[in-house]
Amino acid sequence: MLVMKDISKVYRTDTVETHALRQFSLTVDEGEFVSVMGPSGSGKTTFLNIAGLLEECSGGSYELDGRDVSGLSDNERSRLRNEKIGFIFQSFNLIPELDVFDNVDVPLRYRGFDSKERAKRIDGVLEIVGLGSRRRHLPSQLSGGQQQRAAIARALAGEPRFLLADEPTGNLDSQMADSVMDLLQTINEQGTTIIMVTHEAALASRARRNIHVRDGQLSDGEPELHVAAQLA
Amino acid sequence: MELGPIWRALMRHKTSYVLIALQIAVTMAIMVNAIGIIQDRSKQMQRPSGVDEDNIFYLTSLIYDADADYQALMAADLEAIRGFPGVRNAIATNSVPLGDSGWSEGIRLQPDPDLDSTGVAIFFADEHGIDTFGLNLIAGRNFDPTEATWRDVESDEWPPQAIMTRAMVEELFPDRPVNEALGKTVYVQQTKPVTIIGITERMQAAWNRWSGVERSMLVPWKRASAFTHYVIRTEPGYRDEIMPQIEEMLATSGTNRIVRGMRSMEEIRHRSYLQDSAMVKLLVFIVSVLTAITGLGIVGLASFSVARRTKQIGTRRALGATRLAILRYFMLENFLISSIGVVAGAIIAVGINIWMVEAFGLERIAWYLIPAAMVTLWLVGQLAVYGPARRATLVPPALATRSV
Amino acid sequence: MFRYYLKLGLFSIRKNPVLSALMVAAIAVGIGAYMTIVNIDYVMGGNPIPQRSDVLFHVQVDNWSPNEAYEEPDKPPEQITYLDGTALLAAGKARRQVLSYKTGRVVEPQGEGERPFQVVSRATSADFFAMFDTPFVYGGGWDKAADDNEEYVVVINRETNERVFGGEDSTGRTIVMNGQPWRVAGVMDTWDPIPKFYDLNNGSFETPEEVFFPLSVAIANELGSWGNNSCWKPSEGGWEGYLQSECIWLQFWVELHGAGEKQEYLSFLDAYVESQKALGRFPRPMNNRLYNVMEWMQDREVVEDDVGVLLGLAALFLVVCLLNTIGLLLAKVARRSDDISLRRALGASRSAIFAQYIIEAGMIGVAGGVLGVGMTWLGLQGIELLYGEFDFIARLIEMDWTVIIAAVVLAVIAALAAALYPTWRACAIQPASELKAL
Repeated sequence: MLVMKDISKVYRTDTVETHALRQFSLTVDEGEFVSVMGPSGSGKTTFLNIAGLLEECSGGSYELDGRDVSGLSDNERSRLRNEKIGFIFQSFNLIPELDVFDNVDVPLRYRGFDSKERAKRIDGVLEIVGLGSRRRHLPSQLSGGQQQRAAIARALAGEPRFLLADEPTGNLDSQMADSVMDLLQTINEQGTTIIMVTHEAALASRARRNIHVRDGQLSDGEPELHVAAQLA
Repeated sequence: MELGPIWRALMRHKTSYVLIALQIAVTMAIMVNAIGIIQDRSKQMQRPSGVDEDNIFYLTSLIYDADADYQALMAADLEAIRGFPGVRNAIATNSVPLGDSGWSEGIRLQPDPDLDSTGVAIFFADEHGIDTFGLNLIAGRNFDPTEATWRDVESDEWPPQAIMTRAMVEELFPDRPVNEALGKTVYVQQTKPVTIIGITERMQAAWNRWSGVERSMLVPWKRASAFTHYVIRTEPGYRDEIMPQIEEMLATSGTNRIVRGMRSMEEIRHRSYLQDSAMVKLLVFIVSVLTAITGLGIVGLASFSVARRTKQIGTRRALGATRLAILRYFMLENFLISSIGVVAGAIIAVGINIWMVEAFGLERIAWYLIPAAMVTLWLVGQLAVYGPARRATLVPPALATRSV
Repeated sequence: MFRYYLKLGLFSIRKNPVLSALMVAAIAVGIGAYMTIVNIDYVMGGNPIPQRSDVLFHVQVDNWSPNEAYEEPDKPPEQITYLDGTALLAAGKARRQVLSYKTGRVVEPQGEGERPFQVVSRATSADFFAMFDTPFVYGGGWDKAADDNEEYVVVINRETNERVFGGEDSTGRTIVMNGQPWRVAGVMDTWDPIPKFYDLNNGSFETPEEVFFPLSVAIANELGSWGNNSCWKPSEGGWEGYLQSECIWLQFWVELHGAGEKQEYLSFLDAYVESQKALGRFPRPMNNRLYNVMEWMQDREVVEDDVGVLLGLAALFLVVCLLNTIGLLLAKVARRSDDISLRRALGASRSAIFAQYIIEAGMIGVAGGVLGVGMTWLGLQGIELLYGEFDFIARLIEMDWTVIIAAVVLAVIAALAAALYPTWRACAIQPASELKAL
C-alpha cells in the first residue's frame, strides 16, 4: 500500500546543508502495525512529515496505493492527507475552542460530507474510542488520555488508509499510555494499518514490525536493542 | 463552510471577538450619524435661492453727510449703475437672499391682530426688482412705476401691492391652486391691506435656517436713506470685471459716503452656508480617519489572533485543509464577528441618533444608511483581515508535528 | 518599589517599541480629536467675565403680544423697549444699570488723503464701563451728567485710536464722526469677552464695538439700531412713535450683589409691570426674568448645537481609539506571558504584577497625553483652516493650561482604564504555566 524507495531529504540554509534522510526505503502493506524507531535527531520526524505528505522529499520515490505522490500540488496533497491519512500527534493537537464533536468533525468538513454523514461517522468513532458521553466536552475538560482518544477518533473518522502516529503516548502517564496503546492495537486488529514513530523501545515492542532509523538512514537497530536489554 | 463550529468557538472565547465587534459597532454608530448629518447639510446647501446667482452682486452705500438729499442721490446712483455698460439692471433694497440680515413681517388673512400671522421676508424693490433678481414670475404681473413710488422711511403707510413667492401663497391659502391668490387681499402690520398682484416661483429669505426661508414678498417701496444696499445684475460674464468698477464709480461720485461690503451672490451663498460646509468637511474627515483606524485595528487584532493559532492552522492543514480552506476560515470568522459588530452598531447608531435628535434638533437618519453602513463595515472588515488571513495560509502543515 | 516598576515599564516599552508606539499613537489621536472639540466648547461656553459674572443680571420683561409668546415655550423678549428701558434706568433701583444698543457711525479723519471709515458703535448709558470692567489705555468713560446733557463725548477703542491719532493719548481731543466733532473721553484697551455676552442678539462672537457714546446723544440724533429689532405691533409716528412703541431693540443690564438685592429688584420689576398693566400695556401674564451672565448665556444657547454634536462624535472616536489600545495591550501581555509567568514563579504576587503593568500603562498614558496635546493643537489648526472665514475662530482655538492639563490627565485615566482588562488577564497567568516549553 505504501512504498517508499530511497527517500532522501536535504534541508538547505545559507550556510548549512543537513541531510535529514538518506536512502530511506520502506514498504508497508495493508493491515500492518509498523513502528519506526530512533533517537532524537535521527530523522524520524522527517520521515513522519514525508510519509504524511506534510513535506516533499528531495529525492527518491513515494507511492501510495500505487500512485506516485511526489510532485503533487499543494491542493492535491491536502486532499490526499484528508482522505488517506489519519494523524495522531504527540501533544494531541486538539483545537481548544472546539468541543470533542467539533474537533472530530474538522477533517470531515474538508472532505465535504453532508451533516448527516458527518454526524453518523463522528458518533461511530466516538463509540469506538469510548468517548460517546463526552461529545460536547472541551479538551480542557478531558484528561490527557481522553484527549488522545479524541484525537484518535478524529483520525479514524475519515476511514483513512493508515494511521500515522507520532509518539502517541509521549505526553501521557503510564496508565493512560497503556490504555491508548491497547486501543491502537484493537483498531489494528480490526484491520486499520498503523505506522507509529517513537523513540521508546517499550512502545515499539507493541508493534508487529520495527524499523530503525539513525542519522537519517535505516540501520539494523542492533545497538539499540542491546542497550535496551542491558538497561532492563 | 464551517459556520457552526466557528460560531460555537467564538461564543466560548468571547475575548477573541468582543474587541473587534465593539470597534465595528462604535465605528458604525459614528459613521451612520455623521453621514446622516452630511446628507442633511448637503441637501440644505443645494437649495436654490431663486435668484440669478451667477450674475448678481451687492454692495452697501453709507452716506455720512447729514444734509444730503438721499432720494436724489439714490436716483442718481441707480441711473448711473443701470446705464453702466455690462449692467443689466439694478435696484436699491434692504436685503438679499441668504444675506443674513433682513426684515420680516407677519401677514394675516383678516385685519384682526388676534389672528395667527404667517411670517414673510420683506424685500423692498421697484419695478426693476424682478428683473434684477432674475425671478420667475409664474402668475400675475410686475409692479408698474406708479405703484413703486418714493415713500418716506418713517411713513406709517404700507404700499398696497405685493408680489409673493409660491411658498408664501401656499402657506396662506393651502390646498388651493396658486393662481387663485391673485387679487386677494391680506394684511400686514395687523391692519394694512396688501393685494397680491403677482406670484414668483421662488425667492429665499436672508436667513437660511429659518423655517420660512422660502416665504418672501416684494414690496414696491422706494426708500431713500443714508444706508442703502444696491443689488446689481450684470450681463453674463461681466460680473467680475464690473464689480470693482462700480465700486470705484460710487466711491468717487463726490458724495460723502463709504462704499463697502461688496460681495457677489456666490460669495453670499458661500458665507451663508459656511458653518454647514465646514461641518460636512469635518465629518467627512472624521469618518475617513475613523474607518482607517478601525481597519488598521482589525488588521492588528486579526494578525495577533492568527499568530496565536499557528499550531491550530498547521494541524488543520495536516488534516487536509487546503490553503483556500484556511483563508476561508479566517474570512468567515471575521465575517461573523463583523456581523455581531454591525448588528450591535445598528442598535447603537439608532440610539445615538435618537439622542441627538432630542438634544440638538438633528434630523432622523434615512433608514437605508444602516444597511449601507453594515455593508461598508463588512467590506472593511474583510479587507482588513485579508492580509493576516493570507499569511495564515502560508503556515506549513509540517508545523503540526513540531514538538514545541 | 515604584521606581523599580518605572524602570521595568521603560524597559518593557523599549523591548516592544512598535506596540508601545502604536499604543501611544492610538491614545494621542483619540485624545487629540476629543480635546480639540472640548477646547472649542470650553472657550465658547466659558465665562467671559468671571470676576463679575454673578453680580451682572440681564433684565427681561414681557411686553409681548397677548396671542403668542415671543419665543416658545413662553419666554419673554430677549431685548427691551425704549419706554421700559429708560423707565427702569431712571428708577435707579439697582447699584448700577446700563441701557444700550448697537448702531454705527462714520469716522472722518481730518488728515489729508485719509479716507472715512465705518465704525460699529454702541450707544450706551454711562455705567457700561464700570459694570463690565472694561480696560482703558487712556482716560475713562463719562458720567451721568454727560448722559443727561447729551454731550458729544466718545470712548474709542485701541484700533481706532491708532488709526486716527497714531496711538497717542487722545483724551480731550476731538474726533469727527458724521460731520460732528466729538470729545474723546478715553481709549479702551483691547477687550475681548468671548462671547460678547452683553449683546447676544446679533453676532455673539464678534469683537466689541469700536466706539461708545451716550445713549441720549444717539436718540437725539435718531440713530437706528444696527442690531435686531422686533415689534408685535407696528410702530406709528416716525422716530417719536418708535420710541414709544412696543418694539424691542435695546439691552438692559443691572448690577446686584447678593440674593437680597436680587429679590428686591425682582419685586421692583413686578411692581413696575403692574403699573404698566394698569396703563393698558403688558397684556401677557407676569414673566420677568433676571439672569446672571452664565444663566443668560445658557438660556440663549450660545454654544452652537454643532459643537455638541461634534463633542458626542469625538467622544465615540476616543472610545474607538481606546478599544484599539486595549487590543494592543492584550497583544503585549500575550507576548510577555513567559516573563510574567517567570516572575510569578519567582515569587511575585498578583498585585505586584498588577502594579507593574498598571504603572507601565500610566507611563504610556502620560506619553499619549503629551503627544495628544500636540494632536489637539494640530486639530485646532485644522479647525481654523475649515472655519477660518469666521473672524472669531482665531480666539476659539487658543489652548490654555486648563485644556493642556486636562488632556494629559484624561489620557492617563483612559490608558489606565484601557489597561484594566489586559492587566487583569496578565495577573491570571499561572506561575510557570508558560515555562513548560523551556
